[in-house]
Amino acid sequence: MKRRQTQDIPRTLAALTRLGVLVLSLKFQPSSPAAPPTLDFNREIRPILSDKCFACHGPDDKQRKAQLRFDVRDSALKPAKSGATAIIPGKPEASELVKRITTTDADDRMPPAKFGKTLTPAQAEMLRRWVAEGAEFHEHWSFIPPKRPPIPPDTSAPEPKPLPNGNEIDAFVRARLAQEILQPSPEADRPTLARRVTLDLTGLPPTPEELDSFLADSSPQAYEKFVDRLLTSPRYGERMAVEWLDAARYADTHGYHLDSGRDMTAWRDGVIRAFNEGQPFDQFTLEQLAGDLLPNATRDQKIASGFNRNHMINYEGGAIPEEYQYAYLVDRVNTTSATWLGLSMACAQCHDHKYDPLTRSDFYRLLAFFNNVPENGLDGSRGNAAPTLRLPTPEQETHLAEIQKSITPAETRLSGPLPEIDAAQAQWESATTAQKTADGSVVTPSSTISEAASGESPKPREIPTAPPEILALLSKDPAARTPDDLAKIRRHYRDQVSPDYRKLKDELSALKKQRDDLEAQIPSAMVMAELKQPRDTFIRVRGQYDKLGDKVTAGTPAALPQLPPGEPPNRLGLARWLVSSDHPLTARVIVNRYWQMYFGTGIVRTAEDFGSQGEWPSHPDLLDWLAREFIESHWNVKHIQRLIVTSATYRQSTKVTPQLLQKDPENRLLSRGPRFRLQAEFIRDQALAVSGLLNPQIGGKSVSPYQPAGLWEELSMREDSRNFSAQFFVQSKGPDLYRRSMYTFWKRSSPPPQMSTFDAPDRETCTVRRPRTNTPLQALVLLNDPTYVEASRKLAERLLGHTGSDADRVAWAFRLATARTPTHPELAVLLRVLEQQRTHYRGHRDDAEHLLSNGDATRDLTLDAAELAAWTMVSSTILNLDETVTKG
Amino acid sequence: MNATSRLLTRRHFFGRGTLGLGTAALASLLNPRLFAEALAPSALHPSSQGLLPALHFAPKAKRVIFLFMSGGPSHIDLYDYKPKLREHHGQELPDSVRMGQRITGMTSGQSSFPCVAPMFEFRQHGQSGIWMSELLPNIGGIADELTLIRSMHTEAINHDPACTFIQTGAQQPGRPSLGAWLSYGIGSENQNLPAFVVMISQGSGNKTDQPLLSRMWGPGFLPSQHQGVRFRSGQGDPVLYITDPPGITRDNRRQMLDGVHDLNAIAAREIGDPEINTRIAQYEMAYQMQMSVPGLTDLSTEPAQTRAMYGLKDNPTDGGFARNCLLARRMVERGVRFVQLMHRGWDQHGDLPRQIRGQCRDVDQPAAALVHDLKQRGLLDETLVVWGGEFGRTVYSQGQLTKDTHGRDHHGRCFSIWMAGGGIKRGHVHGETDDYCYNIVDNPVHIHDLNATLLHCLGIDHTRLTFKYQGRDFRLTDIHGQPVTDILA
Repeated sequence: MKRRQTQDIPRTLAALTRLGVLVLSLKFQPSSPAAPPTLDFNREIRPILSDKCFACHGPDDKQRKAQLRFDVRDSALKPAKSGATAIIPGKPEASELVKRITTTDADDRMPPAKFGKTLTPAQAEMLRRWVAEGAEFHEHWSFIPPKRPPIPPDTSAPEPKPLPNGNEIDAFVRARLAQEILQPSPEADRPTLARRVTLDLTGLPPTPEELDSFLADSSPQAYEKFVDRLLTSPRYGERMAVEWLDAARYADTHGYHLDSGRDMTAWRDGVIRAFNEGQPFDQFTLEQLAGDLLPNATRDQKIASGFNRNHMINYEGGAIPEEYQYAYLVDRVNTTSATWLGLSMACAQCHDHKYDPLTRSDFYRLLAFFNNVPENGLDGSRGNAAPTLRLPTPEQETHLAEIQKSITPAETRLSGPLPEIDAAQAQWESATTAQKTADGSVVTPSSTISEAASGESPKPREIPTAPPEILALLSKDPAARTPDDLAKIRRHYRDQVSPDYRKLKDELSALKKQRDDLEAQIPSAMVMAELKQPRDTFIRVRGQYDKLGDKVTAGTPAALPQLPPGEPPNRLGLARWLVSSDHPLTARVIVNRYWQMYFGTGIVRTAEDFGSQGEWPSHPDLLDWLAREFIESHWNVKHIQRLIVTSATYRQSTKVTPQLLQKDPENRLLSRGPRFRLQAEFIRDQALAVSGLLNPQIGGKSVSPYQPAGLWEELSMREDSRNFSAQFFVQSKGPDLYRRSMYTFWKRSSPPPQMSTFDAPDRETCTVRRPRTNTPLQALVLLNDPTYVEASRKLAERLLGHTGSDADRVAWAFRLATARTPTHPELAVLLRVLEQQRTHYRGHRDDAEHLLSNGDATRDLTLDAAELAAWTMVSSTILNLDETVTKG
Repeated sequence: MNATSRLLTRRHFFGRGTLGLGTAALASLLNPRLFAEALAPSALHPSSQGLLPALHFAPKAKRVIFLFMSGGPSHIDLYDYKPKLREHHGQELPDSVRMGQRITGMTSGQSSFPCVAPMFEFRQHGQSGIWMSELLPNIGGIADELTLIRSMHTEAINHDPACTFIQTGAQQPGRPSLGAWLSYGIGSENQNLPAFVVMISQGSGNKTDQPLLSRMWGPGFLPSQHQGVRFRSGQGDPVLYITDPPGITRDNRRQMLDGVHDLNAIAAREIGDPEINTRIAQYEMAYQMQMSVPGLTDLSTEPAQTRAMYGLKDNPTDGGFARNCLLARRMVERGVRFVQLMHRGWDQHGDLPRQIRGQCRDVDQPAAALVHDLKQRGLLDETLVVWGGEFGRTVYSQGQLTKDTHGRDHHGRCFSIWMAGGGIKRGHVHGETDDYCYNIVDNPVHIHDLNATLLHCLGIDHTRLTFKYQGRDFRLTDIHGQPVTDILA
C-alpha cells in the first residue's frame, strides 16, 4: 500500500467549509445529467420486495400464494392462469403488480392490509419506475463474490490530488461524501487520536508515558509507528478476543437449568494467542471449526475446535437427551452461519426461508456437519461435558508418571506370590485348623494384631470363623485342593486376615488416591471430535426434534457455492469452503465486523444479517474492496485493521455541528470521526488501569471481582446446591479482583451486572452486534459500584503521589483518563469540586474514613483521610465523565 | 425534536425543581416513548422504530402483575376439581388417556402409573360457585373476581424450556421476555419508576426447587434498557447500586454530580454529540431514582391493617411473597407497567402433600389480598393480575403412591391459571379437562393464546408488536396465538 503524504488538503477543505463553498457537488454529477439514474435492483427494489412481498411470494414454497414469486425473474414475468402477468418489463400499466399495489380496491390491494406491510406511496412509485425501466433482476448482492472495485478518483479538489495522509479507504468514503455534498472533518488532535486508537486496539487507555513518547515523535510516520506498536501489544489479542467471545457465546457456566460451571479458559487463552500471533483468519477459521480434524492436529488446534462446544448444555433431571442434543446442533448451525456467513439460518429450521434462498434442507445439510460429535444430550453436571481434552501441565504430567511408576509394580506385586505373607498364611492355615472349636469359631493369631490396630485394650477376643466355604477348603486334604481352591484361600487370607497384606494394599490405595486427586486438578477443555460411524441426519419436521423427515447429507446451502471438489464433506471441508478465495460472504462479513469495532456501526449495519432483509451497505464498494484486500493479504487481520485505523476517515475529529447532525445523525457517511461509549469491559478495564489497580496477567482461569451479594443465590439456591459448582458466588481476593473484565466469571443465568448494565450480552446465544444504550442504571454503576469507588480511591492516592499544585494534580488525573489536559473552565470545575469535598470531609472525618473503606485494596495510611477522601471524589468525578467512558 | 432542542441544559432540568426532574427520572430506561427522542440514535435502535405510535385498540388494562408460580403447581390439587378421580385413585392411568404422550425422564422408567386423587377437600366459592381446594381459602374468597382457565397447555415438559416459554414465548433462549416487550412497546405509564420490575421470593415447599434464569426477564434482542429491573429484598440495595457508598452524603453527592454535569455540558458544547446530553439527563435521573426508590420500598408507611391483610410478617424486611405483593401494589399505583413476581418451590416430585401446603400458605393470603386491595383502591379495573406456573403436574404418582409422600411429575398437556382485573370476566371458568385432569376436552388455551390475550387487554394487537431482528419481524407470540375472547369482560 502506498501512502499519500500531502497534508494541505484538509486545511483547504476546512477553509472551503468555512466559506460555505460547496464546489464538491459539481464533481459528482452522473455522467449523463439528463437521465435520472436507473434504479438499482439490489439497492432499491429488493428491500421493498423482500420486506413487503416475499413472505407470500418469495423463496418459501409452502407459503407461496398463486405460485408467484418475486425473488426469481422467470416466475414474476410468467403469465398466471388468470391471464394476468405480474411484471411486463417496460409496461407498468399492463403489469398486474403495479395495478395491485396502486388500486384503491381494498380486496385487490397488495400487500393485503391484514399483514400490516403497507407500501408507502414512494415505495409503490419506485416499483412502478423499476418495471418501467425494464424490471432488471439481480442475484442478492452478498451472494455474488466480491470483486475488487476501482479506487474512486479523488474529487475533493479542483485538480486530482493524492489524498492527505490516508489510504484507499478514504477514496471510497470521500466519493460518497461528495455525492452527499458533505466534506470530511479535519484530523483529530494527537492526544485524542492516541487515546482513540489505543482503546480501539487494546481496550485500554494510553499510559502517560506512551502518550508522551507519541507526542514527542515529530516524524511524519509517528502515528503509523504508534499503531504498529499497539498491534504488537499483547493487549491487542485480548481486545480482539473480547469480540470473538461474544460470537462464540463463551461463558463459564452451562446456561440451562442449574447453570453450573464449565471450564473453557484454555480455549479462550488460545483465541488471545492466535490474535497476538497474527494467525491468518483462514487458518484461525479452520482451527475454530475443525482444529481436531487437521492432519496431525496439535493440542492447541484441538482446543481451538472448542468454538462449537461453547453453546449451552443441559442436564436438567427428566429432560430428554435427544431434544437437547438437537438443540446443540441447531445452535452450532445458527452460530456458525451468523459468525461467518452473516446469515440467519434460524428460519430454515422449520420452513424454507421467507426472504433468502435458504431452504429447510440447506439448514439440515449444514447441521449434518456438526452431527458427528460423540456427545451426550444431557451432560455437564460435573463440569466439562464430553468430549473433552485433558490438559495436564508438564509438571502434572511428570508427577503423574512418577505416581504411575509406583502404582504399576505395586499392583503386580499384590497379585503375585508374596513369600513372607504366604508363609504367614501357611501358619494361619494350620492354626485355624488346629484351633477350630466346637461352635465353629476360631481364635487366630491375627486377632491380637487387629485389636492393637483398632486401638482397643488388648484382650483375647474370639473373632468370627472363616466363612464355611473357606473352612471347608481348609479341612480338605492339602493335596486335594484345586488351583481354584488355593486361590480362594489365598484371597480370603490376604483380604480378610493378613495385616501385612492390608498394609501393602493401603499403600497402593494411597498412591491411587494421590493419582486421582492430581487427575482431578488437571484442567480440560471441551473439544470437537468425530464419531467413526457418522450419525444419520434427518430433516426435522417443523423443527421438532422428534419428528423426522427426509435423510440428508452434509453440504453447503444450494444458493451459495458448493464444497470445492475434493473437499471432504466434514467440518474441515466446511471450514475450507468458508475461507475459499471466492466465497461471497465470509470476508465481507468479517471485515464488516472489524469496521463495526472501530466505527460503532458496520458498513452493513445489520452485521448479523447480510440477507435480503439486511441493510444495504453504506459503502458497498468499500466493503468489497476491503473484503478482497483481506483475502489477498492472506486473511491478514492486522493488515485490515491497520488500514482502517490509519485511514484519514478514522482519524477525523468527532466534532459535529447541528447542521451535520441533521444531515448525517448517525455518522453513516463518515464525515466525522467515530465517537461512542466504550463497551462494558473496557469501561471497567480503563478505571482499573488509571487507578493503577489493573493486574496485567493474560489468560488463565476466570475470576470473580466485586458483585452485590446474593445475586446468584436468589435465583437458584437449593438444599443440594453444594453438589454443583457455580452455585455460590465467592468473591476473588487480592490481584484477582483487578484482572481485565474479559476474565470475569460469566454465569449465563446471572451475568455480571457491571457488564450487562452496559449492554454486554448474556452469552446464551451468538452475538455479533451489541446494542448501545445510555441509561441511569449505568450512572449508578459508575457512581456506586465498589469497583469504581475503589478505583477512585486508588487514583486519588496515585495523584497525591504526584507532586505539584492542586491544579497540577487535577490536570494529571484528568489526562490519565482522557489523554488531554483540561481547559481552564474544566480545571475550574474540578477545583471547585475539590474545595467542596475538602470542606465536607474536613468537617466529617468519619465520612472520610467510611469512604476510604470501600474495596479491598490497602489504603495509604500516611495520607490524611479528609484530603484523600476529597481527592477520591474528584477522581470519581473524572471517572464518571462522558468523555471518560466514551471513545472520542 | 431537532438536534438543537435536544441540547437540554442543566437549567432545563433544575428549573422545574424536584417535580420537573422527579417526574422525568428514569424515563429513558423506563419510558422509551417519552424519551425516545432524547436517546441518541444507536446502531440497533433507531428511536422511532418499533415503538407503537398508538395502541391498537382501547385498553382494558393499563398494567399487569404476573404472580409466577415457578416449578409448576399441581392443578389437580388446587383448581381442577374432578370428583370422579377419587374412583380412579390407585388405579393405573389408562393408555387411552395417556395416548403415548411423551413424559419426562424422571418417570418414563416407572413400570406403574397409578392415579392419585387429591388428598385435599374441594369446595365451591362465591356466587360463581367455582371449585377450589381447601388449601386456597383466601383465593376462594376472590373467586367472583377472577377467570379460572383450566385448559392451559404447553409443549415443554421441563422447567428450563417451560419457564423460558411462558416468559418469552419460545422454549430456547434468545427472545425478549413479556415485560421487555411491554417496556419496548408501550413503555412506562409513569416516569418515576421502571416499566418492568421483577421480584423473587423463595417458597417453603420444595427445597430443591428449580432455579430461575435472568433470561426470564431479559431483553433478548431488544435494546437492553427494556430488561426487567430486579427489586431485591433482604439486605443490600433494593435496586443494584442505588445507594451511595458509605461516606457520601446526599449533599456531597450533589456537589460531585454538579461537577460531572458542568464538565459534560462543556463537552456537549465543544463536541456537539447529542449523546452527551443524553448522558447528562441519565445522571440527573439516576440521582432522582436514588431519591424515589427508598420511598417506594419503605413499607413502614403502610397501615398495620393493610400489612396484616397481606400477612406481612412483623419484620419489615421480610423477603417473602407477601412483601412482594404489597410492593407490587405500590408499584402499579405509581404506574409501573409490568410487575413480575416469581415465587419458587412448586416442583413437587415427592412429598407433595406437605410441600404444597407450605406453598399455598406462602401465596394464598397475599395473592388474594392483592386483588382485594387493588379493588378497594379502584385499581383492579385497570390492572390485570395473573397467577400461574409454567406447567401442571401429572395425575399419576411419581414414585410409590402413599398418602403422605407421593409426588407428581411435570405435565404440560393441561394446567390451570387464573386472571383477575382489567378486561377479564369475573367469576368465570374457561376450558375443561378430562376426568383425569390429563387432556383438555374443551377450549384449549396455549401459552401463545395467553400472551395474545394479555397484550389484547393492554390494547395491543399481538401480531403488530414486532421487532426486526436478523431480517425478520419477531413478536412475542411468534407466528401463533389468538386472544381468548371468551374470557374478556
